[in-house]
Amino acid sequence: MTETDRKSEEQAAWAALFARDPDGVIACPACDRLHVATPVAPGQIARCTRCHFTLIAPRRDTLNRTLALALTSAVLMVALLGFPFLTLSRQGLSHEVSILGMVTGLAHGWYLLLALVVGLFVIALPMLRAAALVYVVWSLRRSRLAPASRRIFRLAEAVAPWAMTEVFIIGTGVALVKVAGLARVDFGTAFWLFCVMVLVLALKNASVCRWTIWALMREKSR
Amino acid sequence: MTRAADMGWIGCHNCGAVHAPGPSRCRTCGAVLHARLPNSLQKVWAWLLTGVLFLIPANLYPLLSNEIFGHEEGHTILEGIVLFARSGDLLVAGVIFLASFVIPVVKVVVIALLAWSVHFDWQMDRRRRLLLYEFVEFIGRWSMIDVFVVALLTGLVHLGAILSFLPGLGAVCFAFSVICTMLSAQAMDAKLIWDDDRDE
Repeated sequence: MTETDRKSEEQAAWAALFARDPDGVIACPACDRLHVATPVAPGQIARCTRCHFTLIAPRRDTLNRTLALALTSAVLMVALLGFPFLTLSRQGLSHEVSILGMVTGLAHGWYLLLALVVGLFVIALPMLRAAALVYVVWSLRRSRLAPASRRIFRLAEAVAPWAMTEVFIIGTGVALVKVAGLARVDFGTAFWLFCVMVLVLALKNASVCRWTIWALMREKSR
Repeated sequence: MTRAADMGWIGCHNCGAVHAPGPSRCRTCGAVLHARLPNSLQKVWAWLLTGVLFLIPANLYPLLSNEIFGHEEGHTILEGIVLFARSGDLLVAGVIFLASFVIPVVKVVVIALLAWSVHFDWQMDRRRRLLLYEFVEFIGRWSMIDVFVVALLTGLVHLGAILSFLPGLGAVCFAFSVICTMLSAQAMDAKLIWDDDRDE
């Protein structure tokens, strides 16, 4: 059998598969190679055979877990905004700052740009992602899909690279070293809450399988 | 190995659902369908060049200045790293050196390399190129560390005349540079890497 024969035979097989069930075929989003969508057990990962991109990575109880973790992170975020994050003292003077206070304190003149960067990447976008996930998962647990669920899940995914809470906590560590020789620094409640939230967010991101969520949405809308 | 494009189909960039040509949006996730993202390389270069341009003032202007007993002193990104190293905090100096100097430079080089490799059809190992691409997408956000340090220090350290920190213009330029290079990496269509006719 020649190369072209083999190719056209392969293509005929794909065409037959696609005609039977268009949703049974996946094109790898990273390299365009076609795959047959087969059921994957929770905890296992289906990767693209050509480029190793993760296609399907279902988790056990993914909806409940995602919902719980997203709600937890949202509650933590709201709670920690007002509490003191760090307290600085030297020679009798002390200064206490919360995350919100830090952002609003920066918001004058061109410092506003800096305040925007921090406010967006550390507070607004992580909260938006958590809220969007809660909405989508909530809607998936009900009998009918809530309006705009698709758009909102796309938004949650698009926002993911811009939510930088874990980068911020490393930045806090560096800032502490920088101040260490100059003044005394005490951790506030918000600092510890923030550390917990970084962990919760990491667990939450690990509990979302995009493919599972899209597949569930497809079933719901039928 | 058969690609969706070989069949004349369109694979959704967002969720992977396969479509016969026709619909403009994905039936599964609602994202706009493109066989390949339009003008991908052009957008990559536009964001990348903007990012590189912002890197210049980011390194020339002070990142942060501190005022100790009325004596103000500013330092740039590299001067800040040297200060940390001199004071013996080698770990912190290393982290900042990585996040604020090595990563931005490596990122720009890798994105440029990937864009050229697609444009000139270089015969490089494709899986390695995809790894590089994923690495750049993953690592980009970590460059923001220094910006957050500046925001924290200026927000936190307000002890009147004794000690305070002021943000420098360099911090904002650096933040914009990081944002631009992240957008550049996101504009890249990884499918282009696999679009030559070589067989594995």
